[in-house]
Amino acid sequence: MSLIEPTAGVQPAETRWARVAERAASLGKLLVSVAVTLLGLAALTFFIGRLLPIDPVVSVLGDNASQEAYQKMYVLLGLDKPLWEQFLLYLKHVCMLDFGTSLTTGHPVSEDIARVFPATLELASLAALIGTSLGIPAGVLSAMYRNTWFDHGIRFIGLLGHSAPNFWLGLMGLVLFYAALGWIGGPGRIDFMYEFDVHKVTGFYLIDTAIAGNWEAFRNVFSHLILPASILGLSGLSYISRMTRSFMIEQLSQEYVITARIKGLSWARSVWIHAFRNVAVQVVTVVALSYAFLLEGAVLTETVFAWPGFGRYLTNAMLAGDMNAVVGCSLLIGVIFVVLNLVCDLLYRIFDPRTRQEQS
Amino acid sequence: MMTFTRACATRKKRLTALIALSLAGSVIPLAAQAETPADSLVMAWNIDAISTFDPAQIGEVVTNELIKNTCDTLVDFDPKDESKIIPSLAKSWDISADRQTLTFHLNSGLVFPSGNKGSAQDLAWSMQRVVLLGFGNSATLTEYGFTKENVKERITAPDDNTLVMKLDKPYPSNLILQAIAANDVAITLDKALLEKNIVGNDMGNKYLTTHTACIGPYQLVRWNAGEGLVLQANENYYGSKPRLKRILIRHVAETGTQRLLLTQGDVDIARDLAPDDLRDLDKSGKVNIEKVLKPQLFFWTMNAEDPIFKNEKVRLAMRYLIDYQGLASTVMPYLGVPRASFAQLGAFGALDKDKGQPFKLDLVKARQLLTEAGYPNGFSAKVYIGTLPHSAPIAQNTQENAAKVGVKLSIESMANAQLFSRVRGREFQSAMMAWQTSVPDAYGNASRLVSNPDNSKEAKKTQYPSWRASYFDAAMNKAVNEALLEPDEQKRVTRYHTLQEEQMQQGPFAIMFQMYNTAGLNKSVKDWTWNGFRVYYAVASK
Repeated sequence: MSLIEPTAGVQPAETRWARVAERAASLGKLLVSVAVTLLGLAALTFFIGRLLPIDPVVSVLGDNASQEAYQKMYVLLGLDKPLWEQFLLYLKHVCMLDFGTSLTTGHPVSEDIARVFPATLELASLAALIGTSLGIPAGVLSAMYRNTWFDHGIRFIGLLGHSAPNFWLGLMGLVLFYAALGWIGGPGRIDFMYEFDVHKVTGFYLIDTAIAGNWEAFRNVFSHLILPASILGLSGLSYISRMTRSFMIEQLSQEYVITARIKGLSWARSVWIHAFRNVAVQVVTVVALSYAFLLEGAVLTETVFAWPGFGRYLTNAMLAGDMNAVVGCSLLIGVIFVVLNLVCDLLYRIFDPRTRQEQS
Repeated sequence: MMTFTRACATRKKRLTALIALSLAGSVIPLAAQAETPADSLVMAWNIDAISTFDPAQIGEVVTNELIKNTCDTLVDFDPKDESKIIPSLAKSWDISADRQTLTFHLNSGLVFPSGNKGSAQDLAWSMQRVVLLGFGNSATLTEYGFTKENVKERITAPDDNTLVMKLDKPYPSNLILQAIAANDVAITLDKALLEKNIVGNDMGNKYLTTHTACIGPYQLVRWNAGEGLVLQANENYYGSKPRLKRILIRHVAETGTQRLLLTQGDVDIARDLAPDDLRDLDKSGKVNIEKVLKPQLFFWTMNAEDPIFKNEKVRLAMRYLIDYQGLASTVMPYLGVPRASFAQLGAFGALDKDKGQPFKLDLVKARQLLTEAGYPNGFSAKVYIGTLPHSAPIAQNTQENAAKVGVKLSIESMANAQLFSRVRGREFQSAMMAWQTSVPDAYGNASRLVSNPDNSKEAKKTQYPSWRASYFDAAMNKAVNEALLEPDEQKRVTRYHTLQEEQMQQGPFAIMFQMYNTAGLNKSVKDWTWNGFRVYYAVASK
C-alpha cells in the first residue's frame, strides 16, 4: 500500500511521521467502517423488530393484562414515541453501553449478556480447540493419504458432522455416555451440588473452579463440558478438515514439494513447513469463520444440554418479541465478526510475508 | 503423489497408535452417578419465564407457583379440594351481614426472613401496593371495586393483627376469598425492608425483581437467571415446618433432557415431560406420573365480526367437527380431558363431566347446521395456531373433518407472541389457543368469555376473550352479573348451569379440552400434593 521503501538504520523523522500518520489513517478508516457496520446492523435489527407483528407489551404483561396496565407499559417502553425517535433514543443509550432492559428476564440486557456469553464462549472455545486441533491434522493427513482407509474414515466423520443434526447427536451422546455408561456429567454446566459453590470471577467455570482450587468442581465442570464441546467440535472438525484437505491436495501436487523431498527434506518439514504454510492463510479464515459461528451460540445444542448460553437467550428473546435483547445480541454478534476479521488480518501478516510487504 | 504417500506409509503405525491412545483416554469415566440429597427436592423445569418475584407483577405460572411456596397469602386453597378455602396468614375471618366487609384476624408470630416483625399494616400496605402499581395483577382487586383512589380507605389495618376489606357490592364471599388465594395480591411484604430499597416511587418493585421479602415455608436464597434457583426452609416460619430443607430447581428447557435427568435419578421431578415421554415412563413403571386438572381451557375462538362466524349456527356446526373422543385417546391422554363448557371441572357452578361436554364428531349434524346457516357447500376459513405442542394435531384433525363437509380450513402456525397480538387486535378469523382463569368459580370464565363490558373497537378490552372475539350479548352480560350477585348459592349454581348450556350452543368459543398439569416423579418422592391452583412443596417428603 505504502510507497515508502524500507531503509536500513535510522529512519528520517518525516518518514517515521508519515508512517504513523498512515497507520492512524488506516486505523481511522477501520474504526469508521466498524462503526458503520454496527450502526447498519443496529438499524436493521431495530426496525425489523419494530415492524414484526409481535407485541412486546404482551410479552411483559402476559395475555391477561388490562388495557390500563397495557397502556402504562406501552408508554414505559417508549413505544408511544415515533419510530425514528425511538431509534435515536436507543442509539444514545447504546453509545453508553445501555441496551435497555430485557422484557423477558427483567434484567438489563448488558447484564444478561454478561451472564450468558461466558457460558457460550467457554463451550465454543473448547469446541473450536477440539475442531481445529483435530480438523487441521485430519485434513492434512487425508490429503497425504488420499483414498486410503484413513481418508475414507475422516470423510465419514466429516459427513456425519455435517449431516447429522447436532440436537440428535447431543441426545444420542447423552443417552450413551451419560445415561447408559455414566462416564460424563449430564445436562447443565455443572452438577447442582457444586453450582452454588462456584464463585463467579470470569464466568468461565473451568477457570473459576481452577482459581478457587476446587478441583472436584473443576472435574465436574469438565465432565459436563466435554460432550457438548465435542459435538460442536465435530461440526468444526468436519468443515475444517474438508477444507484443509482440499487446500493441501492442491499444494502437495505442486512440484516444489516433490523437489523438497528429492532434496532430502524430512516428511514433516516438507508438509508442515513448506506445503502447510502456503495454505495457512486459507485455513485461518476457515477456522475463524467456524469459531464465529460457534460464538453466535448453538441454539439446539444449548437447549439439549440445558446450557445457559447466548444462543438460547437470543432465540428465546426472538420468540418473545424481546427486541432490546435481540438488538443487543445482534450487535454483539456484529462485534464478534469484526473482531475475528481483525484477528484474521493480523494472522495473515504472520503467515503470509507478502501481506507484510504490501502493507509496510 | 503416490511416491510421496509411500514415503509416508511408515508413519501409519504411529498414527494408529496415537488414535488408539486418544480413544483410550476419552473413555475414562469423568462422572459418578449422582443421587439427589435426602433432605432436598430437585426439580427439572423450564423456568425461562421468571422475570420478577414481585407479587404485584407476577403474571405467569412458574413464578406464581414459586411465590405460593415462599409467600403465604391471607387465605389458601384446601390441598384436597380447591373449591374450599382454609386459613393461612389469617387464622380466621368474619363476613358482615351485608357481605361487603371482610375482617381477617392474622396469626401471631409473623416474622420476615430479615428478622422484621410482620403485621397487618404490612399486609394492608402490600395489598394497596398491588392496586397502586397497576400491573396486570391489580385486576384481581379492581374487579371488585378497589381503585387507586379508594384502596387506602377500603383496605385497612385497624390493629397489628386485623385486616379489613370493604367491597363496593355484595359479591359472593367465597369468590373473593378464592380470588385472594389464587392470585398474589394478599401477600404480606416486608415494608421496612422494601422502603429501604425504593427506586423512585416503585414501592420496592425493582428490588423484588431478584428477591423475595415475605413470609412463607420457604425463602428464595439463590436465583441464577436461566440456570436454577434454591428455596431454603424458613427457620422463622410461624406454621408447620416444611418436611424437606431445600427445593432445588434446575432450568431445563428440553423435554427429552428432563426425561434423561429423571430416569438417571439426577432430579426427583421433571415438570415439562412431553406426552410421549409421559406415556413411555408411565408404561415402564420406573417413575410415577402425576396429573391434575388445571383451570386452563384449550379452545377454538371464532371472530363474531367475521361474516361467516357471526352466524351462531356456523359456530355450532364447528363444534360437531371436533373429534373430542378420538383426540382424547390419541393426542391428549396426558394433556387434558374433553370439556366444552366455559366453567372448568372443579369450579363452583360447573356442569358435571357429561353435561359439560355434550358434543361428539357428527358430520351429518354439522352439514345440516351449515345448510341452515346458508353454507350447504361449506366455505373457506383461516385458523391461526401458536406453538403449543397439541395445537397442530388438533387443528389438523379438525381440518380433515371439516374438509368432509366442504369447509376448507387453512391452518397458519405462528409464534405465540404473534398469535396473541393478532387475536388481541381482533385481526383473525379463527384461532386455537389456551386461556386460564384465576378462580375455581364459574364466574371466573363467565366474566371473561361470556360477558363483554364494551364491544367497541376503541374500548380495547383486550383482557376479555369475548371482546377479542367481538362477541357481545347484552342479555348475557346481564345474566353474568345477576349470577354474580345472587345471594342464594343454589340459585347461583342454577344460573351458571343455564349460562353454560346457552354458551355451548351459541358462544364464540368452541371449547375443546381442559388441560392437565403433569409431572414425572421418582419413586423416592412422597406426598407430592397439588391441585389446579397450586403445588404444596412444604408437604412433600422423600
